[in-house]
Amino acid sequence: MTLEDYRWWTHTPLDEVELSVVIPAYNEAERILPTIGALASHLSAGRRHWELIVADDGSTDDTVALVEDLGLANLRVLGTEANMGKGAAVRRGVLSARGDWILFCDADQSTPIEQYETLLCALVESGAGVAIGSRAHLDAESQRRTAGRRLFSAGLRALVRTLIDTEVGDTQCGFKLFTREAGRTLCWVQRMDGFSFDLELLHLASTYDFGVVEVPVRWIDAPGSTVDPVKVSAAMLADLARIRINDVLGRYGRERPTVPTGPALHRSWLVDRAESPASAGAAGRVLEMAPGRSDESVA
Amino acid sequence: MRVMELSVARTAAGTEITPIGRFDAHECENFKEICESVLETTADVRVHLAAVDFIDSAGLAELVRLMRRTREGGGDTVLVRPSTAVRVILELTRLDAAFEVEWADDTLLA
Repeated sequence: MTLEDYRWWTHTPLDEVELSVVIPAYNEAERILPTIGALASHLSAGRRHWELIVADDGSTDDTVALVEDLGLANLRVLGTEANMGKGAAVRRGVLSARGDWILFCDADQSTPIEQYETLLCALVESGAGVAIGSRAHLDAESQRRTAGRRLFSAGLRALVRTLIDTEVGDTQCGFKLFTREAGRTLCWVQRMDGFSFDLELLHLASTYDFGVVEVPVRWIDAPGSTVDPVKVSAAMLADLARIRINDVLGRYGRERPTVPTGPALHRSWLVDRAESPASAGAAGRVLEMAPGRSDESVA
Repeated sequence: MRVMELSVARTAAGTEITPIGRFDAHECENFKEICESVLETTADVRVHLAAVDFIDSAGLAELVRLMRRTREGGGDTVLVRPSTAVRVILELTRLDAAFEVEWADDTLLA
């Protein structure tokens, strides 16, 4: 990548993009700028037409201000007043995306962005709608996990596969690539706002016959993670049950829905969120901040 | 798990530290130890960043810390030929203005 490619991307507003990258962010002031730098320096190579969407989830630190201040031509910040959950942030970002391919990745760069091309190749070659980065091969190779933990993980994976009809080994890796149709369809139907939204997306992908290809990726553990594996597992089990219930009650349907576009998408999405029991009490005014603008408009 | 290699060479211009790979929070403790050892004998340090493909906030904080220590000792830290990825990160974090940097396209002064 040449510096000129990067400068071109930062200064040239692109009307059409092949790739949209969505970063869900909650209080990521410390990590977000280096991650944006890493993404921009890699993805701008060859003057690729791409956009970056930071879907803020009600940060209380300087995340939004830091990103806005960059003033990059193809970077958008989607803000919200309330903390609604990672799933909600990803959904807003994906539904706002313009690219033919939509990648969502975590703000900590645990999966280096250089892995994007690997996922893209897998997606194109397989004809699938979703390519997910997977750490399952790392678990298999690790010698340091106790027998108890390996058994627990295997049990959890078996339960996931049983309840949500997926063969995926690593459902939670924060590095997933969608075709535009798959991403928008899945996120449109998605009801879960929290960490288990990945499970729901994978279940929906199976329901609507969007193929899913799992791709081993390099993954670097981000230090300072406060995730409690026991709590997360318990929450995951509860969410698995919720997905199953939604499915039985026909809330997802069996056919791919038609996703509205343009203003109709935002109006109907906002109405849907306001009425959805899943977001009761958590709905916030959704703000979209365009680069170089200081005013706000409801998305 | 550490993935960054680190080499140190003493020259007439000072001490050259060359990290290779990903400079993130996992590497900071080792980098700090190396720097402390270097600072016992010199306050002039050149950090070659051409082979660093990513640096996070923790890595940047270590560079800032090194810069402060060398300046306190009457010397300085020079960042040498940062890779494009590092250069972009330095610009986005506005640290490019804080450091003495020899960019890849600079003509070195004698």
